[in-house]
Amino acid sequence: MSNDSIAKTFLVAFLLCVVCSVLVCLAAIVRIDREAYNKQLEIRKTVLEAGGYQQQIDDGGNIDEIFTTNMEMKLVDLATGKYTTAVDAATYNQKEAVKQPELSETIPADLDLAGIGTRAKYAAVYLDKNGGVVLPIRGAGMWGPMYGYIAIAADGTTVKGFTFYQHSETPGLGAEVDNPNWKKQWPDKQVFNAAGKLALKVVKKGKYDPNAADAISTIDGIAGSTVTGSKVHGIVRYWFGEHGFAPFLAKFKAERG
Amino acid sequence: MAKAKDALLDPLFNNNPIALQILGICSALAVTNKMSTALTMTVAVVLVTACSNAAISAIRNHIPNSIRIIVQMTIIATLVIIIDQMLKAYLYEMSKALSVYVGLIITNCIVMGRAEAYAMKNPVGLSLLDGIGNGLGYGAVLLSVGFVRELFGSGKLFGVTILNTVNNGGWYVTNGLMLLAPSAFFLIGFIIWGLRTWKPELQE
Repeated sequence: MSNDSIAKTFLVAFLLCVVCSVLVCLAAIVRIDREAYNKQLEIRKTVLEAGGYQQQIDDGGNIDEIFTTNMEMKLVDLATGKYTTAVDAATYNQKEAVKQPELSETIPADLDLAGIGTRAKYAAVYLDKNGGVVLPIRGAGMWGPMYGYIAIAADGTTVKGFTFYQHSETPGLGAEVDNPNWKKQWPDKQVFNAAGKLALKVVKKGKYDPNAADAISTIDGIAGSTVTGSKVHGIVRYWFGEHGFAPFLAKFKAERG
Repeated sequence: MAKAKDALLDPLFNNNPIALQILGICSALAVTNKMSTALTMTVAVVLVTACSNAAISAIRNHIPNSIRIIVQMTIIATLVIIIDQMLKAYLYEMSKALSVYVGLIITNCIVMGRAEAYAMKNPVGLSLLDGIGNGLGYGAVLLSVGFVRELFGSGKLFGVTILNTVNNGGWYVTNGLMLLAPSAFFLIGFIIWGLRTWKPELQE
């Protein structure tokens, strides 16, 4: 049979398609299983890191084990600040929920400091069995969305830790949000001031004054990345505002603090 | 034997895909701000060029001329998808760092160029070596660029601190340009200049 005959052309194309699709399917099957686990592991690792368990992970602890002994996931209805069982917590995916009209809510433009447009109605929070809670936060960064967690102590206002697990900031500049030296100024900062008003803020690098009255609620920005700093500022201002976790934290404090 | 050696080593310097054929520049700019991403990308490209060259060479006598480009493309795409999926499964952090660029190996002219120019005419063994050689030639440039960019951009190599940066309380003020993609353009330009000065016969 000639190579260029119509029959041969169809035969080669058909066989090639069959072989290639089988290979691609096999690869996808392997990936789907592992990827779900990888994603879960990443979230658990970030939650633990924000919650102050980094040392235990560094000491070679099993992430799944540390997570299940210390953390408990619960869903919070952001509008009321109450725990909710409206959806199944085990299968709930907050990132996916944002895209579903019945599970998400448009943020009024004047409140949208994080630049995200919509947010999920329910937030998956992680209750630390030793007190405190780890909250999911997200917002627009300089080049793309940023996802992270911030841990708050049982008093509902003291920051315990802060970390992003996904962002696309400029390496060496905005990506310094991952620098442990920058992140270590977050613990012990106060989200709310004595009057209960939102006080936490991120200022431009060099504008931080350790002697100012509000220094306890001020984070020094990152050198060379004013934009990322102001984005992080917007993210904390939104998520600790009335449209974010403020109602939940008030209840959380009353219940645990 | 000499032919095999040429197939493997020629693309490293004498016929380097990036420096001489000016192919695959896009990903060379995108994944070279860290050594670790450059190395993973190198391995991925070596695997793809080697396997695609071997596979295409193996069936080269049965590929109808009228659909040969599509056949090559399908084989390359399949290999790239498999590698992308495996990275997602087993090197999750790395697959996040490389993001779309693994998928874009499909459109990397090196792979397609070698399939069409070499694998269609040569036996499997030689094509395999040619694929490995071209992947390594691409990788050599990627790693050199990555070395300079990571060292001067973040003071590190493979994430290990070499020059202690000001942000960490050290003395080294990082070079911001090195962290951005255009710096790779300059560096590749210097590499091409250096290579053509060293081997004047490469000049056009």
